[in-house]
Amino acid sequence: MTTAQHTQPLLQVNDLKQHFFLKKEKLFGPQQVVKAVDGVSFDIMPGETLSIVGESGCGKSTTGRSILRLDEPTAGEVLLFGKNLVNMNKKELRAARKDIQIIFQDPYASLNPRRTIRKMLTEAMSIQKIVPPEQQEARMLELMSLVGLRPEYLERYPHEFSGGQRQRIGIARALAVNPKIIICDESVSALDVSIQAQILNLLKQLQRDLDLTFLFISHDLSVVRHISDRIMVMYLGKVVEIADKHSLFTQPHHPYTKALFSSIPVIDKQHRKERIILKGDLPSPLNPPTGCSFHTRCPFATDKCKAEVPALRAITATHKVACHFAENLV
Amino acid sequence: MKQENVLEVKNLQTYFYSSEGVAKAVDGVSFTLKKGETLGIVGESGCGKSMTSLSLLRLVPSPPGKIINGEILLNNTDILKLSDEELRKIRGNKISMIFQEPMTSLNPVLSVGEQIAESIRLHQGLSRKEAWQKAVDMIRLVGIPAPEKRAKQEPYQLSGGMRQRIMIAMALACTPDVLIADEPTTALDVTIQAQIIDIIQNLQKQLGMSIIFITHDLGVVAEICDKIAVMYAGQVVEEGTTESLFEKPLHPYTNGLIQSLPKLYEDQEELSTIHGTVPSPYNYPIGCRYAERCPFATDLCRDQQPELLTVEQGKKVRCWMYSNEWQGETLMKELTV
Repeated sequence: MTTAQHTQPLLQVNDLKQHFFLKKEKLFGPQQVVKAVDGVSFDIMPGETLSIVGESGCGKSTTGRSILRLDEPTAGEVLLFGKNLVNMNKKELRAARKDIQIIFQDPYASLNPRRTIRKMLTEAMSIQKIVPPEQQEARMLELMSLVGLRPEYLERYPHEFSGGQRQRIGIARALAVNPKIIICDESVSALDVSIQAQILNLLKQLQRDLDLTFLFISHDLSVVRHISDRIMVMYLGKVVEIADKHSLFTQPHHPYTKALFSSIPVIDKQHRKERIILKGDLPSPLNPPTGCSFHTRCPFATDKCKAEVPALRAITATHKVACHFAENLV
Repeated sequence: MKQENVLEVKNLQTYFYSSEGVAKAVDGVSFTLKKGETLGIVGESGCGKSMTSLSLLRLVPSPPGKIINGEILLNNTDILKLSDEELRKIRGNKISMIFQEPMTSLNPVLSVGEQIAESIRLHQGLSRKEAWQKAVDMIRLVGIPAPEKRAKQEPYQLSGGMRQRIMIAMALACTPDVLIADEPTTALDVTIQAQIIDIIQNLQKQLGMSIIFITHDLGVVAEICDKIAVMYAGQVVEEGTTESLFEKPLHPYTNGLIQSLPKLYEDQEELSTIHGTVPSPYNYPIGCRYAERCPFATDLCRDQQPELLTVEQGKKVRCWMYSNEWQGETLMKELTV
């Protein structure tokens, strides 16, 4: 981390907001807004893996999609190498997307069933015009070997592959344009553990070999623990805690992070924690609670929590928390 | 006190017949379940764990599926020999099931209270009013606030965690002897999963039922099960108490599975993996079904199928390594290094 302080962040996200406006129920009724992502900021350094964790509906996937402008963000900045993706026109954005790619959860849904792997990879390379046509063949073979697939699979269709193999194809397609950063959106969540381990190893190896940076989005904390350098926890569209992984796992400060960690079922008895069972469900994002959005389920909530939104503040150089009482709760 | 087996499954075989051939989804599965006991069935996709559970209630889609062999003894009555009428009296009453996705198993246009009351009326012969009251009580029991109001709502008005609780309320409404829970928490977030597991465990204590918990999540079984059966390619490859299975896994597959989990409290540069993929159920190898992926496999493994050996009281493993014929290296040696 010492050298990293002198380099520029590869990706900077500043106050990103993604608000979805719902259809009005009545003509003159109130406009209902879902604040899926509500003022999220973070940096990612080159070669680093930052993970976003949180439960369904916390906005982690939407954050990933908004960065790529797969959903147009409502407000905020996304600086990739200092250039703001949010105010680029279509042509500039397409060029910029060469550097930033995404791998989805369900590779079957994100691969065109009517195209062979060869066609898919060729298309990706042609759009970005980074590989001259005469070198495409060699590049494809290289990609296949990078992700551990046999070269003859190039002629096959997605349905001929298993889940793990499809995820390898998804990775090959993302790598085809030589990206600097890859957003992995629940990329191993649908896989069996033995296959998941293969893909996680592959991602780590690719990161080493190709100097990749990852934004890893997942709900699985043990996977996140394994792959990340830093971890960001989201709740109802906001960042509640962000820290390097060791600090977060050994000393989580936010009550939500603590409850989340204590809920993970573990095999090893000696690491089993007193389980903090949270009351109730995630509040509706249509009507989020006032003040700290976690106060409805927080065992420590006070009147201050109901009234004031806690700011994300640094408690050590590498650890930030959005809780009024972070210091008292350790 | 002598503990009776509530459920006894012997040599269950469920095959699927399709144009591609015969898929041996469940191929000779046996296990027993005592009163108040929780059995976990774990394994990866396609190992036959869900088909085993569907077979127990005779819910296997037929055709193409067919239970071709075996006995399923619930309180010494063979479920496979019952008439449809008799079967209906048992399902939801003596043995009931909860599924992974409650939204697909709930009726979307009927209030949840009505859906619970229906099975109570059917099995216990209560009046409409009494059944409704019992349904509301059940909804309260699974920890849903304002049960009177919730009972009148339809499934779409409830959250995922609440829907799963409604499923549990429905499954337990007639206090069954056996509850089969097929991936009941897989679609839920961890904090909600913790709530649901807590509820299932509390209700088990109160109602004294036995549970079969089917999941791919080793962490979940480790926390709630008394004993575990690990399935691979349609067969049970290892069975033992939860403690023995995680502390001293005998089968190389069980060991591989546990090792490939990322550790929550340890840094690892690389995860250990299991090479290759599961063999196709249409075409299982003649020898051990895991041999192709097993680092210890010998010619014996590739040529002959191992039996499920009893290594000690309550501990079984389907692996040549624990037979007298074995001459290769053993897993235990590697584990002790």
